This record gives sequence, C-alpha cells and structure tokens, in this order.
Amino acid sequence: MKPSTVKINPMPSRFKHQVPKYKVTRSNACINCSTCAKSCPHGVHERLEGHNKVRPPIDYKCIGFDCSKNDFYCVDRCPRKALSVSLNPMYETLGDYRWTADMITATWIMAETGYPPERTDLEYDIGNSGGGFDKLRLKFPSGRPKLDKFEISTEIPLNRRNDGRVNIMISTPVYGGGMSFGSVSLPTMVSKARNAEIWNTFTCTGEGGYPEMLTPYDDHVITQVATGLFGVREETIQRVKIIEFKYAQGAKPGLGGHLLGEKNTESVARMREAVKGSPLFSPFPFHSVYSIEDHKKHIDWIKEINPKALISVKVSTPNDVDMVAVGSYYAGAHIIHIDGGYGGTGAAPDIAKKNIAMPIEYAITKVHNFLKEEGVRDEITLIASGGVRTAHDLAKAICLGADGCVIGTAEMVSLECVRCGNCESGRGCARGIASTDSVLADLFNEDWATQRLTNMYHAWNVQLVEILQRFGMRSVRELVGRTDLLEHIDYSK
Amino acid sequence: MPKKYHIDTKVTPLELEYIHKFRIERGENCINCGRCTKVCIYEVHKRGRDGDSRKMALPSTVTCRNCFRCIQECPRGALEKSLDGDFLNMGGSYWKPDMFITLWKQAEDGKVPVSGAGYRGPFTGPGFDGMWTDMSEIVRPTRDGIHGREYISTSVELGRKLNHLVFDENGKMLSEVQNTIDVPIPIVFDFPYEELGANIRAGIIKAAAKLNTFVILSPKDITPDVKGEMKNIIPLMSYKDIDANLDLIRSVRIVALEYDEEMEKTLPAIIEKIKKLGSILTMVRIPATRSVEDAVLKLAQNGAEIIHVVADYRGIEIGTVDAENPPLLSRDVIRAVHLKLVDERVRDEVSILFSGGIAMAEHVPKAMICGADLTAIDIPLLIALGTRLYEEPEKILVFAEGVESLSVGTITQRMVNLMGAWHSQLLEVMGAMGIREARRLRGETGRAIFYEEIDADTFGKLFKKSETVSL
Ligand code: SF4
Ligand code: SF4
Ligand code: SF4
Ligand code: SF4
Repeated sequence: MKPSTVKINPMPSRFKHQVPKYKVTRSNACINCSTCAKSCPHGVHERLEGHNKVRPPIDYKCIGFDCSKNDFYCVDRCPRKALSVSLNPMYETLGDYRWTADMITATWIMAETGYPPERTDLEYDIGNSGGGFDKLRLKFPSGRPKLDKFEISTEIPLNRRNDGRVNIMISTPVYGGGMSFGSVSLPTMVSKARNAEIWNTFTCTGEGGYPEMLTPYDDHVITQVATGLFGVREETIQRVKIIEFKYAQGAKPGLGGHLLGEKNTESVARMREAVKGSPLFSPFPFHSVYSIEDHKKHIDWIKEINPKALISVKVSTPNDVDMVAVGSYYAGAHIIHIDGGYGGTGAAPDIAKKNIAMPIEYAITKVHNFLKEEGVRDEITLIASGGVRTAHDLAKAICLGADGCVIGTAEMVSLECVRCGNCESGRGCARGIASTDSVLADLFNEDWATQRLTNMYHAWNVQLVEILQRFGMRSVRELVGRTDLLEHIDYSK
Repeated sequence: MPKKYHIDTKVTPLELEYIHKFRIERGENCINCGRCTKVCIYEVHKRGRDGDSRKMALPSTVTCRNCFRCIQECPRGALEKSLDGDFLNMGGSYWKPDMFITLWKQAEDGKVPVSGAGYRGPFTGPGFDGMWTDMSEIVRPTRDGIHGREYISTSVELGRKLNHLVFDENGKMLSEVQNTIDVPIPIVFDFPYEELGANIRAGIIKAAAKLNTFVILSPKDITPDVKGEMKNIIPLMSYKDIDANLDLIRSVRIVALEYDEEMEKTLPAIIEKIKKLGSILTMVRIPATRSVEDAVLKLAQNGAEIIHVVADYRGIEIGTVDAENPPLLSRDVIRAVHLKLVDERVRDEVSILFSGGIAMAEHVPKAMICGADLTAIDIPLLIALGTRLYEEPEKILVFAEGVESLSVGTITQRMVNLMGAWHSQLLEVMGAMGIREARRLRGETGRAIFYEEIDADTFGKLFKKSETVSL
C-alpha cells in the first residue's frame, strides 16, 4: 500500500469554530464608520443593515498578527486607531506544557485538511515541557534534497524473527494505541480500526474485549491480553494477526487498570463478562507471571492457540526496562512495545502519571542499546509510545532507536479532544470521544471520525517523508538509531 | 500479619468561597440564542438574568470543567474564558496554584486524585520534581496494594536501634535494647510555632490521635482539655526548660528539644535525665542550614534517638543565600544527611524526621527514598481547611472566612481525609515499586530515577560525545 493512495477529504470540525488565538478589541474611539467591516475579508467586523453601530468583533475569525502585512489590516485601516489585535487570554486555558494550544490547534487542522497547517503562527513541532523530545532537534543537512518524495518508503516490518509466522509490513511506522471499549465509545473504536485498515497499519482493542463491530477489520486489530483477562477468548485470539500482552501502562505503571462503575454500562459489562455498574479492576501484575520463565510460558500458550500470529509485549519504563525487553526477546516476542510515563490514559491517579517510571525518551535509548549489545536488535521490533505527540516526536523517537511508535492522544486530539481530563468523571467526555453515555457518544459518526484520523495520519506521513527527504533517506528504516542526526539544546554545541 | 491500618475518610465539603482555576464570562456579543445552555453538560449556562427568561444569566463559572464546547459552539464567539487572576496569584514558586486545588479536593473526599488524559506538567523540575519512582514489571513481591488484596505496611519505627548486640562469654546479652515506637504512617504533624485558633488546634490534635501519629506542639498549647491525647503529642522545648516541664514530659512518649551547639557534648546526659522520667524518646529539632549533616552526625554519635531536620517551607535549606550559593533543595539536604550517616556507619542507630516543603503526597515517599525515615507537615493540613498561602513578599497564610466557626469534628475529618488520600497514594507508589514495608523505602535511591543522572547518562553521553568528535 502506498501512502500516496490514501484518500484525503476535508473534514471540518463538529463545532462552529476553533478556540481563538487572538483577540480583537475595539475602543470607544470608534465612530462606526464601517471601514473595518468593509475591509476585513474574514468577517471579524460586521455591521448589519439598518443598524447604526458595528457589532463587537468576532475573535475566532481573526487571523492574527500576520494580518499586518495585508493592506486590508483593520488596525491600520481604522481612521480612529480604535482597533487592536492581541493574544486571546482564552488560548492560555487550552492545552498544557506537553500539549500546547498551538499543538492541539495544529493537530485539529491536520485532521481537518490532511496536511500540516499552512498557517505560520503555530509552533507544533515541539511542546513546552522543557525536556525530552522538546529539547531535541533534528539536524538537517544544508543543500537541496536530491531524492524525489515518491522514492521514499515509510514501510516497516513487524516480524523480524524469521520464524515462519506472518510477515507483516505496515505502511507508516505508527499504529493506534489500546483503548478499551468502555474507556472510549464504540464509534471511536470502530473509526480507529477503519483508519488502521486504510493506512495498512493496526489499532488495538485495549483490554475490554473484542466488539463484534471490529470483525471486518480483524487483520488490522491487535487484541490485548491484559492482567484482568477481560473478554479474552480463544476465538478472538485466533482471529487476529497480532496479540499483545499488556504488562503495564505508562500513565499508571504498576497500577493495573480501573474502570469506574459509571462507565461500566450494560454493553460494556456484556463485553467484559462483568456486572453492570460495578467498578472493574485489572490487577497488577499478571498473577501468573513472576519471572521471565513464567512470561515465556504465557507467550507459548498464545502461540499455541494461534500458530500464525505475532506476539507483542507491552511494558512500561522502570529502571530495568532493558532487561525486560531482552527477556521478552528470549521468551519469543516479536514486538517489544515500551510505554513511557507521560502517555495518555482514560483514567489514572495523578500521582502515577507524574511520578512513576521514566519518560520514554530515556527508555528508547536504554532498550535500543541493550538489545544491540545483546546482538538481537535486528530480530525484534521496538515500538515506543507514551508522549509521542507529533510527526517530529515520531522522527526523534526513531532516531533514538525505535522502529516505530504507537499513538493515542494524537488520535484523540484529531477527534477534537481538548485534554480537559474529564474522561473518567460522571457521564464522561463532554465531547463524545471517551464516553459510553449514549447521548454523548452520538456526537459524531464513524465516517467523520475515520476521515479525521486518516487525515491526521496523512499529515504525519507528509511530514515524515519530508524529514526523510531532507536527510536523503529512501526508507524510514535508515533513520533507526541515528542519534547523530539529533542535537540536544543543553548538550550539543 | 499485623492488623491492617485503615483511615476512615468521609466526604466533608466546606461551605467556603474557594478560588477556581477558570473564569468564564459572557461578552457583550451574546445574542441570547441559548446554544451554550444546550451544549454544556455541567450546567454552567442558564437562562434567566434578572428574572427575564429571554436573557442569559451569568455563567456559573465555578462548575466549568474546561471542555470548550460552549466556547466553540457560540455563534458569536461571545464567551470568554481565562485563568482566574486570584488563582494565578496563589502560592508562589514552590506552592503552585494547582496544588491548592488538588489538596482542597483530597481534604473534601479523602480520595486519590484521578483524571483522564496524560500528564500535563513540565518534563522535570527542581528537587522532588526531578525524581521518578521505579516500578517492577514482572519480578516483584507485591500485588494490588491499594485494592487491598495484599498487605502493604506504611508504618515506620522511631528511636535508636543498636548497630549490633554485645554478649558476654556466657552468652548473656550486655546490650540494652531500647524501646522504639511504631508510627503507622510516615507523617507527623508539626505545629510548634503557628498561632492557631482553638478549634483548629483541637482538630489537629484529634486528627493526629485518630491517625495514631504525633503532633509537635509548644508546651503552652498543651492545655488541660487535650490531656486525653497526650500519647500523640510531642512537646517541643529548649533543653533548659526540661526541669520546668517534668510533669508534662512524664505524660508523653516523645519529647522534642531545640538544637543547641552545646548538645554535641551534653546530649547523653540530657537523654539520661529524660529516660529517668519514663521510657520516653528524645528528639532533637535542628534547622537545615548549610552543612547540617555535620551537626546531625555529631548528634547521632552522641546517642540522639530521633533527629528532626527542618528545612524552609519552600523545600530549600534555611539561611540567607546569595547568587553564588544557591540554596540546596530539600531532596539534596536529605540525601546529604543520609549519606553522611551511612558513611560514618551510624545511620541505623537514629531516626531522621524531615520537614520542609512536603506539600504533596508524592513528596513523602520521595523524601524517604532520599533517606528520611519519615516526614513532618504543617501547611497542607491548614490548606485542608481551605487556607491559602502566599510566598511573596513574605510567607502569609490566609484562612478562609468562617473557618473560626468550623466544628472540631469537621476540621478533624478534613485533615483525616487528606491523610487518607496521601496514605492511599503512598500505597500506589509502594505497590508499583513492589515494596511491602515503608521502612524499606529509606535511602533506596536505586529504586528511583534522578533527572540529572539519567539525563546526563543518556543525552549527556550521546551528545557530548558527538561534540568532541566534531572538534
Ligand atoms: S474602522 Fe475603526 S472607527 Fe470605523 S467602524 Fe471600524 S473600528 Fe470603528
Ligand atoms: S473528556 Fe476531555 S480529555 Fe477526555 S477525551 Fe474528552 S476532551 Fe479529551
Ligand atoms: S451561545 Fe453565545 S450567543 Fe448564544 S446564548 Fe450562549 S453566549 Fe449568547
Ligand atoms: S467550557 Fe465546557 S464546562 Fe465550561 S462552561 Fe463551556 S461547555 Fe460548560
């Protein structure tokens, strides 16, 4: 499958408008001459027929400081100097250190258009966290790229063991993270799967069972075997090409899963074979795994049930993550998926998100090097997740040593998540993404959501190809472990 | 298995005016279309200003959960949202505004704060913020601490333990094993100086008793009405005042003495004097000024049983510091004290209580990992009552209006709730680490990840090297 064959369709926001970055203020020096209403083509200023006053400016339509180069710039045109444009204080309430308001806005634009934003007033390659990816920069060579974009491949193989099991190539080195039915709505899950099919990549069920509606996408679904074993059946394991053991999740390492009672609705309970309304806990860790040997037994068991499928092992990032990774290789895993502490979640204790286990940037380096020293790096696929927000984070993660990444929050943001963090409380997500409340979950349909995801994946792919082109690489596989192409703003000169 | 330690939390709201993070306002642009009423699931927007159902009422900004739906759906872009000015003004560089909001909530419901979406904060920060605790993926001894399927003990021991036992040739033990005290939670309350309302003081003492921990108080605050709680009170005095307080000392289990350089010589005699009054432990309270570890070592070598190292409330050492000598952070003060005692082989003989900048639940296990046996807190307990703190221009505590008329029962419950939430969070961290006993956290720096170390080890190595190569 070639990424260039993916169909992009503009898919506008479900809401009337974006969160305004700018604020337009009209002082009382205004004489209601209407010059601004006539000159601004974006409709910020308006004077209704028969009214003798212009209406208050509509901030969200304003294109910001960049407008000053236009001859219609209202601030310059106003004869009374009554207008000013400033940053809107509201913009500060959107986003946070990791996902800045610019990054969220840019992701929304990508999901809408399929391309990185044309606007030049958004910094979306790096966030504001002051560490990790946000301190790393890609070091591009000067000079014009010689490669044509069409010669560049973003494909990666997932089975590098050569053990007779399926050989899977995914067309872009990204796939969708596990989100269980219950923590997100069914339309969200289904659209993730449809997008995975379109992009010839994967999505993951999370640990809440395998909804019937995913059956058409079996070849692009990873089913998860997590500690709670909710909804795990031989039949679902035999259906798919990849089975993932989830030992831990980055946002709440060592804590297991927890679905609040309110979110355990009738349909969720049916899927998980549980009692409606009661909170569901996934224990931690696997109560049958207390050593790497036990771990191997687990993997053997699944391999027995499905003789073709690949095995992925998802772990978080403690100090000994490198040992666990090597252990997983020897236990027979095809994919080691490391999930860093700063990743997303449907609900986790704040203390865990901030304080437990290391950020993914360190873990990738540690695991990649350890696998190399052990001489097995080329036989296992290393997938990183937990704080991969943008195409640039993806490229940096690969330079540090990952083969590809899993993303979760970026998908949610494409569906217009604002990271308000209310997913777990009351009726759940007010924006209909992480909600099983029937009214809220109806806020969008699968076609809309699928196209938004497809568009965002496309925008990322465009950026990734551009990065590879500037490095003169024909394949994303050449980028793996190329730390020499990175610089760190604290250490590098 | 010891009886399980349980903290009884109970939802206890206060009818106080809290500060909220977001302020939402309806601008003059509003055309009263009512769209916002429909989209906000938290019922912030309602009709009926001045009894006129055609007009929109003022938004109920306190219930806004920042979902942006009304903002994005208002056809006129009339709604404005901003960070509340009073919110931004709270606290200071150490006590961040968000801390108050989360502590208020924990004091109200006694629960571990849980939210959706990933971590939002900076990558790292000074002191405790530059530490991550470890966890065990596969090989670990604990399971499901918080959900109660396995017992994790948070208790720690106070007092002097012997380095080794001495026996005579007949096998008779010559060493005198001294008594120690178990505290079921590694947190004691510390209020020797603060002038507090009678109800607050009574609430603090009751809470300490309920939790079976201790509160450090000035003798003048130990009035006859708290006689029932004497076993949870630690009076703090100068060693010169011991004689004037003999009865008081006889009635407690631990007495705290202000540090004085003299003590490096006189401590054994003082301890002996106190021991004569009963089996009472002596604690020395020493301010964490530069090189406090040297003084702590001398005290430990002179038989100190418990040493309370007190840093500044902003999590830094005490004393004036200039630009060339930036203050050490709590984390590093504790590490220095711990390592000094380890190096001199006396660490196990003395208990180190640490206070100064313990503001959030995570600071307790982190301080212990750095080398404290347990921690002491004051400000968070006051915040539990809706109190605000301002660091600039100087430390000032602003109590919520009406706090003086809160019942002792309510005050106690709010503090118990806060400690209940912290206890559960401590269990989360210990459970993840696979540590079953809190006393084992002490000095386990190998089970933590320090930002400076891992960053230099990872990126420092990667990128400094390439620099020398290119030279
Ligand atoms: S151009 Fe200036 S004076 Fe004229 S209507 Fe606009 S703001 Fe008022
Ligand atoms: S509740 Fe908020 S953070 Fe959670 S999915 Fe919805 S918009 Fe995103
Ligand atoms: S949606 Fe906007 S215009 Fe309509 S009532 Fe609300 S604030 Fe007013
Ligand atoms: S931002 Fe969301 S919660 Fe706040 S008032 Fe608007 S719709 Fe309601």
